[in-house]
Amino acid sequence: MKSLIKDFLQGKWLGHPLHPIFVHLPTALWPTALLFDILAHLGVGGKAILYTSFYAILVGLLAALLAILTGLADWFDIRRNNPAWKIGWYHLLLNVLIVLLWIINLGLRMDLETGLNFVPAEVISIPAAPLALSVLGTLLLFVSGYLGGMMVYDYGIGVARLSKKEWRQIAESGGARVPPE
Amino acid sequence: MIKKIKELLQGKPFNHPIHPILVHFPIGLFVFSLLLDLATLLVEDAGPLFRGAFYTMALGIVTALVAAIPGLVDWVDIRSDHPARQTATYHMLLNFLAVGLYVVNLGLRLWVWNEPKVPVLPLVPKTPFVPLVLSLGGVGVLAISGYLGGVLVYDDGISVGRHRRYTRTPRETLRVSPDGAEEGYVPVAEADSLPNRETLRVEVDGQVMTLINLNGKFYALQEFCTHHFGPLSEGSFRNGQVECPWHRSCFDVRTGKVTQGPAKVDLKTYKISVRDGKIWVRVPKEETPAGER
Repeated sequence: MKSLIKDFLQGKWLGHPLHPIFVHLPTALWPTALLFDILAHLGVGGKAILYTSFYAILVGLLAALLAILTGLADWFDIRRNNPAWKIGWYHLLLNVLIVLLWIINLGLRMDLETGLNFVPAEVISIPAAPLALSVLGTLLLFVSGYLGGMMVYDYGIGVARLSKKEWRQIAESGGARVPPE
Repeated sequence: MIKKIKELLQGKPFNHPIHPILVHFPIGLFVFSLLLDLATLLVEDAGPLFRGAFYTMALGIVTALVAAIPGLVDWVDIRSDHPARQTATYHMLLNFLAVGLYVVNLGLRLWVWNEPKVPVLPLVPKTPFVPLVLSLGGVGVLAISGYLGGVLVYDDGISVGRHRRYTRTPRETLRVSPDGAEEGYVPVAEADSLPNRETLRVEVDGQVMTLINLNGKFYALQEFCTHHFGPLSEGSFRNGQVECPWHRSCFDVRTGKVTQGPAKVDLKTYKISVRDGKIWVRVPKEETPAGER
């Protein structure tokens, strides 16, 4: 059962790792929230700007949950002695911190009267604390994102994992010596 | 100068390809823009959401165009007979289509539902039908092209480890006929077509091999890494070894022996020599052990 869940989260059914797909949303939307926060701080635009920031953070958090589950499933299969395991560990720790920062950020912006209806508070301009959290959350995200990219493009995590059989056939018909199956 | 710009766009100074980083923005923004559009159908105060959809769509278009630049540079470097070449072209064409749809989408929102006065937009009660359908279509196209992008990286290893290779990689596979062999050696290329620290990918008599020039000495190894069969003709060099770009297995270029895993099996090597300014390679019927200059 445990390995069925892990296989599902690793995207075997899709023929494609799932983690990189979900990662796109927080990675795009949290810097976007920062951008819109800065615009609000500069007095550009109206209510729509801070509304967009708010929902960008919220949608990013929801997608981040799925990114975390799929990322853990991928990380479990990395061997302990692979340098990418340690990078994954730092990536994980940073991401936990980042998600916490954005949760607090969102909480500060919620209209507490409407409770958990996820309605942005009616503010005219952005207070210092959420803005600062957006800056910090985005900077840390760039660092953690870079580490994630390193895992794929420097250490090949997930690369040719599901396509190994096809490559083996290509190698064999190219006369290569191949390991026993 | 052009080489420096190309290296920058391929992310070499950052040890990280650029295109996969930038790609996050259009994907996230276009998906988010659609979610905002859909939200306008569900809530009362939809005006700010409709505006938000517009702004994030505009930002998505800008970031898509920026992301296309390093993408094009990466695309140009894909070998002409690489299994991924066609996938990459479809990926590119679908992306152009998606961006085109979004430009029309944005234009409609500005000029049909408003006078062309950016950034003033009407407070519509919900996103109108045509722009909404265009947004759904845009995300649909992106879902396919994004999937292909993932195939390029995770199935085909495109741009994986590419930042470690500073010289150009082969643009095609040289297919050489075994006729013209003298004492079992076949002429495959001019020696000056293989500068230092570069590779040629050659196919002779069903054997696909990587030819390497390391400091004036020539070597011939099987092209495919023995781990997950990555392209050694796109590998990098260190201390007389070739490193596979995918998972960094290392092999001695002279003997083909594994010097660092995860690969466990040595590479086939082929005898190679340089005569009369030409590179000659010996393709035996069975395997031979060591290669020589």
